[in-house]
Order: sequence, then C-alpha cells, then structure tokens
Amino acid sequence: MDLSVIDWSDIWIATWETLVMTGVSLLFTILLGLPLGILLFVTARRQLLEQGFVYTVLSFVVNVLRSVPFLILLIVMIPVTVILIGTSLGVEGAIPPLVVGTAPFFARLVENVLREVDRGVIEACQAMGIRTHRIIFGALLPEALPGLIAAVTVTAITLMSYAAMSGVIGGGGLGDLAIRFGYQRFQTEVMVITVALLVVLVQIIQYSGDRLVLYFTRK
Amino acid sequence: MIRIENLRKTYRAADGREVEALADIELEIGAGEVFGIIGRSGAGKSTLIRTLNLLERPSAGRVLIDGEDITTLDSEGLYALRRRVGMIFQHFNLLGAKTVADNIDWPLKATGHTNAAERAERVKELLALVGLSEQGHKYPSQLSGGQKQRVGIARALANRPQILLCDEATSALDPETTQSILRLLLDINRQLGLTIVLITHEMQVIRTICDRVAVIDGGRIVESGRVADVFLHPRHPVTRSMVAQSDALAAASFDPAHAYMKDKLRGTLVRLTYIGDVTYQPILSRIMAGAKVQITILQGEVSSIKDVPFGQLLLELEGSEDDIREVFAELDRHQIHHEVLQ
Repeated sequence: MDLSVIDWSDIWIATWETLVMTGVSLLFTILLGLPLGILLFVTARRQLLEQGFVYTVLSFVVNVLRSVPFLILLIVMIPVTVILIGTSLGVEGAIPPLVVGTAPFFARLVENVLREVDRGVIEACQAMGIRTHRIIFGALLPEALPGLIAAVTVTAITLMSYAAMSGVIGGGGLGDLAIRFGYQRFQTEVMVITVALLVVLVQIIQYSGDRLVLYFTRK
Repeated sequence: MIRIENLRKTYRAADGREVEALADIELEIGAGEVFGIIGRSGAGKSTLIRTLNLLERPSAGRVLIDGEDITTLDSEGLYALRRRVGMIFQHFNLLGAKTVADNIDWPLKATGHTNAAERAERVKELLALVGLSEQGHKYPSQLSGGQKQRVGIARALANRPQILLCDEATSALDPETTQSILRLLLDINRQLGLTIVLITHEMQVIRTICDRVAVIDGGRIVESGRVADVFLHPRHPVTRSMVAQSDALAAASFDPAHAYMKDKLRGTLVRLTYIGDVTYQPILSRIMAGAKVQITILQGEVSSIKDVPFGQLLLELEGSEDDIREVFAELDRHQIHHEVLQ
C-alpha cells in the first residue's frame, strides 16, 4: 500500500464534511425525533395522554419511513431536497434524506427509552397533582436522560454510516471520497484510509456517549 | 372527611369478560383518624385506596371528600384535590435523577410555588420532620429502604395535605424499619392532625397504628370497626384466618378441634377477652381466690392494640356446673367478655 498517492487535504476536508453532515443531521433528527418519540409514548395505550387514533397514525408513518431502505430514500428524496434547499448534492443535499431516514428511527428509540421509566414514578407525580406537561418535562425526561443519551449515540453512529452512503448520490464527505477515488479510480489506499477514519470516528462517538450515560446515571 | 358510597369498579379483562374488582363499598373515615384496610393480595385493597385520589376511576358510586364528590371533578379540580391528598407507595417511587432535597422540592416547584427561598425553607423543615436533615444532597439510590420511604413521606407532605394515603407503604421493609416508619406516621398523624388511610396485608401494621379497620375480601368489605373489636372478636372467616396467622392473637381464633391438648381436655374451655383499664387489674386472682374451680391457662396474650390495652386468655375450668356459673357471673361483673368454646 502506497500512502504517498493519497491527497491528505482531500481526506481532511472529507472528514470535516462527514462530521458536519452527521452533526447537522443529528441536530435536526433530535429536533424532529424527540417530540415525535415523546408523542408516541404519551399517546400509547394506558399512558399519560392516551390517544389511540393519534398513536396509530404516528406509528404507521414511522413504520413506513423505517421500512424504506436508505439507499432508496436517498433517491426518492432528491426532488424534495431540491425544493427544500435548492440542491440535492454536496453536504447540504445529503442532510434532508439523512434526517428523514433517521428521525423515525430515533423516535422509536425515544419511545422505548421512555417506556423503561418506572410507571410508579409517573403515577406518583400524578398523585401529587402535577400537570401532565410538567410531568413530561420535569420528571419523565430527566429520569430517562441516560437512556436518551444512549439513543442519541446509537443514532449518531447510524447517521455517520448513512452519511457515507449518501456519497452514492453525490453527497459529500468520506463516503463520497471512498466511492470516487477508492472505488471508481481503484485507489485502494483511499478506501482503506476512509474506512479506518470512520472506524475511529464511530469509536469516539460511542466512547463519549457511554461516558455521558455513566455521568448521568444515578443508580 | 372521607365517605365512600356504593362504590363499584369493574374491569374488562383481556378475554372480554367483566371482572368485578370492587363492589358495594361503603366506608366513612373521620378527620384525624388512622384507618386501615386489610386484605389478602388480589382482594381489591389497592384499587380501593387508589379511588381516593382517582388514580383509579370507579365504575359507579361516589367518593366524597369534605362533602365534595370527587368523581365529578374536572381536571383543574382533580389537580387541586390531589394536592390536598398525599400518597406514599410500597416501592417509594422516588425520582432517581433528583437528589433527596429535589425530590421533596419537586411537588412544590411543579405545583406553582415560585419562591425558591420559601421552598428551600419548607424542604429543610420536611427533611427535619422525617429525620433526614443530613441526607438532602444524596440520591435515592444511596439510601436504605426506610430512608427512601421517609423521603416519600416528606414529599407527600410537601403541599400540606389533609389526607395521607399509604399504599402498602411498609410491605417492602424489614420488621424493624416497618416499626420506625409506623412510628413516624403516627407522630405525623398526631402532630399535624393528618387523616391517614392505609392498606396492608400485615396485621401488625393495623395493630400498631390504626384506630379502625376494614377487612376486604373479593372486592367487598366483609367486616369493619374498631381494631380491637375486629381482631379480638373476628366474625368473618377471612378475618378469623388472618387473626389465626398472627401469632400474637392466636387465642382469638383458637380451634379446640385442632389443638395440641384436645385429648387431654376435661373441663370447660373458655376464652376471656378484656379491653381497656381492666387489663391491668388483678381480676383473675380475685376470681380464683373465691372460686372452687380449677383454672388452667392454655394460651393467652396481654398486650395493646395501638394505645388500647387488652388481654385474651384461653382457660380450662374444672369444677361443678354451679361453680363454673359462679365464675361466669363474676366475670360479667367485671365486664370481662367470656365465650365457652367447648
């Protein structure tokens, strides 16, 4: 393997782009997925704001989005992305499909994490005469914080691998580099380096996530 | 203070059948009273106590608190009611992510008390009340079971309720801790004039702090009254079997047919029950002094139920019928209840 053929400045730019794509998509995924997950949880049967119809509809939409393979979603989303931000290419172009692809996944994770919160604790809050929205934001979410951080960690890693995949339709970042140089121009070195970088990034995210979970766990 | 009228609760089970959890419940609980509801698991006691703050909505009937039917309250009314009715739980249900002090502060903060300094003062007061002044900064996971329940009690009292509901509050605790929590509850009952309604499956809990008790079985109240009356003269089979399982009150449910000495009994088997001041008077020796009857004590207890002293003795009397009748007359004169078993 001859590392001298590698243009390192390209690698660093691509790494930065991957981080930007992952970071910005993660932000929007949380902004969309967290409320959606909370809504799924509270409207479910025997929960705080039981609403059978709302739950069924939300749950169906989430399932539909989650059943579309991400590669297909990338392609299907192209016209929508163009309308939203003017282009379907580059770093910006990759963000809408990334968010649409992972927000439902994150929402389900949030729903599951919230279900793990001891029912008795929520009931105790109800018995104190506390309003539902205060129970959600003052008790439910703080109690679920370690679980939510773990869910964000998993989602961030999923996003990073999805971001790499978006290279196929002209998204930026390490995936794009791997496809254009590593695959199409047979520069195995580039392929190896990009994959190695992704491995390192994933390790860093997982490690930081685990540390945060531990920090916020009071058990 | 609390009146339950013709309360009924039915569930629809998974297979579509209607299951009756509570039926024909009538109860009246006075202000400042410690009222116990005892029953085996599945008897409906948990459902019953949860109707008092509408964690469980009754299917029919009324629940009146201070004359107001709480089943008709709108959501605002229900919030207000629940702030007047505190509750503690078997598994404490503390917020694990908050410190002890924040757990106690939470019901204040979340119900619109915006003055942080006042709240901090109140939290300090409550921590002192439950004997946890030094533990405010800890997290619940660092506390023992008894300490957790003390936090639960402080939290339930934060909004100065008039009623405290205890849902199996000592069932997860060891006997010694149970006693200390019961003492605390009794102190609070006396100091603050708080009405306490508790459910339990432990006779000992009822004996230690309750003024009156209701026995629930199969979703119905089968017996109720003053604790001493119910436990010393159990009428319903369920009460009898509960009393029988409590070593301390074994004489109350003594069954001669199954007794160790059943073959050796020659005389008349009598159970004496006496409640109140008479407990500590030398009645038995007075009776024996004059009587021509042989008296053997087979089983017995002299103790107290809450603050009420009582004695219960199982005696074998040997002598002529006339002499025995003489003894009974003497017992009647001293207001000692006697019951001939055999």
